[in-house]
Parts: sequence; structure tokens; C-alpha cells
Amino acid sequence: MRLLRVELRRLWMRRVTWGGLLLALVVAGLGVAGQIGSAQPPTDRQVAEAEAFYAEELERWEETGEQQVEQCEEAEAEAAADDPGADFGCDDMAPRLEYFLPPTVSFVPDADDREAAAFGLPPDRGESQDPRVAEIEQSVWTGWSGVGAAAGYAPAFLMLAFVVGVSFMTAERSTGALGMWLTFEPRRSRVYGSKALAAALGTVPLVVAGWAAVAGGIYTLHAVFGTVGTVTTEDWVEIGAFSVRLVGAGVLCAAVGTALGVLLRHAVAAVGAVAVVLWAGAAFGYPLGAAQRWTPTTNLTAWLEGGTAYGVALETRDESGMVTTTWTTEVVTGLQGGLYLLAVAAVLTLLAVVVFRRRDVA
Amino acid sequence: MAVEGELAIETRGLRKTYRSVRGRRVGVEDLDLQVPVGGVHGFLGPNGSGKTTTIRMLLGLVRPDRGSATIFGHDVPRHLPDVVGRVGAIVESPTFFPAFSARANLRLLADGIGAPRERVDAVLDDVGLTGRAKDRYRTYSLGMKQRLAIAATLLKDPDLLIFDEPTNGLDPAGIHEIRRTMRDLGDQGKTVLVSSHILAEVEQVADTVSIVARGRLVASGRVADLISGQGGPAVRVVVAPDDAVIATSLLASRGIVARPEGDALVVEGADPAGVNRMLGEQGVWAREIAPLQVDLESVFLGLTQHETPGGRDHRGGRRRRRRDAEPPVGPAATAAATSSGTGRADGGEEI
Repeated sequence: MRLLRVELRRLWMRRVTWGGLLLALVVAGLGVAGQIGSAQPPTDRQVAEAEAFYAEELERWEETGEQQVEQCEEAEAEAAADDPGADFGCDDMAPRLEYFLPPTVSFVPDADDREAAAFGLPPDRGESQDPRVAEIEQSVWTGWSGVGAAAGYAPAFLMLAFVVGVSFMTAERSTGALGMWLTFEPRRSRVYGSKALAAALGTVPLVVAGWAAVAGGIYTLHAVFGTVGTVTTEDWVEIGAFSVRLVGAGVLCAAVGTALGVLLRHAVAAVGAVAVVLWAGAAFGYPLGAAQRWTPTTNLTAWLEGGTAYGVALETRDESGMVTTTWTTEVVTGLQGGLYLLAVAAVLTLLAVVVFRRRDVA
Repeated sequence: MAVEGELAIETRGLRKTYRSVRGRRVGVEDLDLQVPVGGVHGFLGPNGSGKTTTIRMLLGLVRPDRGSATIFGHDVPRHLPDVVGRVGAIVESPTFFPAFSARANLRLLADGIGAPRERVDAVLDDVGLTGRAKDRYRTYSLGMKQRLAIAATLLKDPDLLIFDEPTNGLDPAGIHEIRRTMRDLGDQGKTVLVSSHILAEVEQVADTVSIVARGRLVASGRVADLISGQGGPAVRVVVAPDDAVIATSLLASRGIVARPEGDALVVEGADPAGVNRMLGEQGVWAREIAPLQVDLESVFLGLTQHETPGGRDHRGGRRRRRRDAEPPVGPAATAAATSSGTGRADGGEEI
């Protein structure tokens, strides 16, 4: 406990930690600023412009509307030969004023947004066997919303916690402070434990401050503009749960950072390694197919949002050699995401302890 | 309380090699080191001779490949936690938080080891930093930083202090301050192990020394014994060039060896007055006659120069050195000195 207290003080004596906190607030500020445009309702000028465009379009519709509908219905009829359920929306082609107004989002997604949300998957995902997909699609994190935008910045706070954890170990090693400290406290397991725990707990304020600033700031924006929308009790509970899970992820990220700082010795190597893994997961995730279940990004998202889904294309070849592609949506639960992060942190920490105990300190 | 014969530090067959892409390099080779309790013990050796590696092994920072080490009888690093409270150490340049005051930095360390906070002010006073205790570390001079490091080692009120090159980069005043601090600590009954390659510094402050070269111990004992182990007095005599051969013959007839060295003769085993009288009686008058000083530097160079790769043969080296010096084995010299001898000529550097 004494060592932990000292390490916490050491952590917060470091400029990197304060810099991380400042950066988290800057990121949050940028997040709030970036939401100003979409949180506010259209201005009078925007409404006037939209009405002008709408009037022009309505005039054109009155001239050519019937012809457009006919063409649409012909195309729909042709398509129905192959797909009896083809619906081109020909009965709803008339222009509406809302089409010309700039989009306004509410703090939480409205029902339409939640219905319309798709995980980059084709429309027939509705045939997915897993009922949990619907739950995920109905969650507060689905669709375009203020809270969804805020959640988009959460990984940045986790990355900052990770970097602070990395730096806490690598900087002390490179400056010689670690060697000096070990002449005072030579029990290396205790030293590692106190450092890792200090990094894990000490970065909580950083994550909390960043998240509170961006989520609180965006909510305030919507409140000021009167576009909060209908936030249900379930929504608030889910936002609270997200916040708790984010803090937990921050703790694990800092612990992983400390471990990688020991294992890879250099901050650039540790941060670079994680950046490459995350980038690879994002860039090549889809071709991985079912293996997407095990990418860090998928599991982190699952943990934070209480579950996530990903699409998998299954190709089958019939006797005639025709290839049929079937799309399915798979679910990764929040529990799996949490266990995955916990396992990664535990394994890396275990390795780091072994290395830290045995490695010479320059 | 120091007990005569008790050892603060003892190593037996300590060995450490470093691996790199160019192969393995021996840092310390079968080192048998003994540091008695109490007083200042100099740990001498050229750069790269294994001093810092040895200290790091004692402090558990580096794992030895083989051999054993004890501090106050406790095996280290296995039982280092049991004895670390009695050991304060500065290894190379210690690091403090630059934006925080000396007092804040020391409080952090004091809290880490459970030392009372009053101890911080006491050690700052010990090293003369009370007046600057509130100043940020980054504003300190090199000498002040080193004094703060010493203060940090004193937080535990240790019985053994290990200083690795403590005066590196210091100006003469700083060196003097550090030297005085070490001597004071030694006089208080604490054991101070100071590693250095600056011989004058150690000669002035150390009671005993150990000399290492290429990772091996080549001599150990009391400073005075090491110097006296070089043999009897020697005299440097300058005579007229035409008289040099005559003077050599005259001295040889009295059983005294005189060897030419530059424009002078070096006469072994005689005092200046006796040499002057002998030569004068035969009508050879010395233009200059002076006793040759044997100091720790001479001893050190004699023991280590031929251990250094590319180092020149010490027999053609420093004038102040006795030419036929063997490794000093004075009465009080430790067995280590005799057992180590002059070490391997090849040093076993690369394996």
C-alpha cells in the first residue's frame, strides 16, 4: 500500500501524465466542437434556403412527377421478375422539405435511427438467426446521435491511458530512475506490482475527465439547442454502464501499457506495436471473416457497448458450380469482450513480471 | 559497531558476461572482493574494468552468471531485501524529478521506504542543502545534485554506502565537498565503498583499496601497504653527461643499482643524502638529486596498464613508478591480492 501511494505520487509528478490529462480534455473539447453543427437545429437562413430548394423541386415534381413514378414502377416490375419482394419506393417519391434541411441529431438516437442502423451489412441481415442482433441494433449506441459521437472518442482516452502506462515504465528505465528506486526497494515483484497498479488506477482520472468532458459537453450542447431528444431511463442506465466499462477498459489499457513497456523496453516500440495491431484489425478485419470475433477492436467495442456485431459472408457452391453468397451477422457479447481484454492484460502482465524480475537494470 | 575482521562486502568468484551481436564480453571475471566494515574503501580500476558491474550485482540490479556475494553476511541478491535497509547507494548519475524541490524528491523516497519525514531535513542538513531545499532540482548545479544523491542514500541511515564515481563532472570545490563527506561518513564508523578511476581522490580519502582490471581483482589492501609494497626508497639523480657511467659504476661498487632514465639515473634502495655522499666522495657532483615519490597512481598504473588492451608496457611508462614493481603483497594486503596476481595477460575479454 505504501509503495502504491508512492507510485501514484510519482505517476502524477510526471509531465506525461499531466500532458495526457490535458490532451484528453483537448480531444474532448474538439469532440464537443465537432458536434456543434449537427446538434443545433437549422438556422432561419438554412430553413429559408431549404424552403427555396424545396419549392423548386416541388415545381419540378409537379411537372415530371407522374413520369418519374411510371419509370420507377416499370423498373420495379422488371426487378420483381427476379425478386418478387422488390420495392423501389415508387409510392413515396414526392419531395419533402426535410430532405433539404441540414440533418439534426439528438443526444440519443431516435427510433428511426435505431431501426435504420446497419452494421455495414446488406439488408437481408434481418434473416439473421441471432436475436441479439436486434438488441444491439436497438441500443443507444446505434445510429447517429450525440452520445454515439461521444463514444467515438472513448478509444482516444483509452489510448492515452495506455501511453501513460507505457511511459511510466519506459521513461523510468531509460532515465535510470528505476535503477535508483530498486536500490531502495529491491523486491522487484512488489515494484512491478505497485507500478502497474499505480498506472492502472492513476490513469482513471484521465479517462473519467476525458469522457465526462466529451459526453457532458455534447449533452450540454444538445440541451442548449433543445435537441436532447427522448432519453429513457434505459438509455441513462446504458450510458452509465458504458462509463463504468470505459473506466474498466482504461485500467486494463494502462496495465497493458505498463507490461508492454517492460517487454518492449521502448515507448515507441510499445505504442507502435499496439497501433499496428489496431490498424491491422481495422484494415483487414472484414477479410478475416469469422476470425473478426478475436480482433482487439471487435472485443473492445463489444465490452464498451455491451455487445457488437459483425458480418460474415459465407460462400457456397452448388452442384452446377454456381457460387451463392450468404450474409450472416454474428454477435460478440460484452462478456466475451471483457474477458478477452482481461485475458490479454493478464497474460502480458504475467510475462512482464517474469521479465522484470530477471532482466538486468542498466 | 564494527567488528574487526568483519566484512561489509564479500564476493567469491563473481562473474558476469554481457551478450551482444559481436559475441560475449566479460564484465567481471572471478572477482573475489573483500571490503572490511568501517572506513572508506576505494574500488579502483580503469574505465570498463568492471567496477560498476560489480556494484550493480551487489545491489541486485544485474544478475551474476556465477559466484556469490554477501553484504553484512547476507547473500545478495537473494537476501538483499533483508539488508537493503542498511545500504545506501549511488550508481552513476541518480535521477530525481526536475520540476520538484530537493525536499519533495527526498520525501518521495522517504515515503517509499517508510522513513520518517523529519529524516529528510536531517539528511539535507548533513549534505549542506538546507538552504536550497525548496529549490527545484533542475536549478541545482552538478555538485548539488550529487550531494542530493548522497542525501538520498543517507535517508536510511545506512551502515554501508556505495558511491559509484561520485565526483564525475564535478569542479574542484565539488570534488572536495564530496571527498570530505565520504571521509566524514567513514569516520562515523560507516563503511563507504567508493568506486573511481581518479586515484588522487581515492588516495586522499580511502583507508583501504581494491584494484580491478579487466574484471579481475589485481590488488587489495591498505593504501599505505600497497605503496610500501613497491619496495624501498628510490632517488632520481642528474649528473653531468660525462659522469653518468662513472656514477653508475661507483654505485654498483657499493651494491646499489642505478638505471638510466632519460637524462637521469634512478637509484633504487638508497636515500638522497647517502647517494650524494657516495658520489661526492669520488668527485662526482650531482646537479640535481631528489627522492622519487611512490603513490597510489604509480601502483595503479603498474598493476593495470599491461591489463589494458593496447596499453603500453608500464616499464617504459611513468617516471614516478618503480620499475620492478610486482603486485603489492604487503603485510596487511589481503589474500586476494596474491591469489589474483597480475591477472591474465590476455584478460579473457572476448570469449
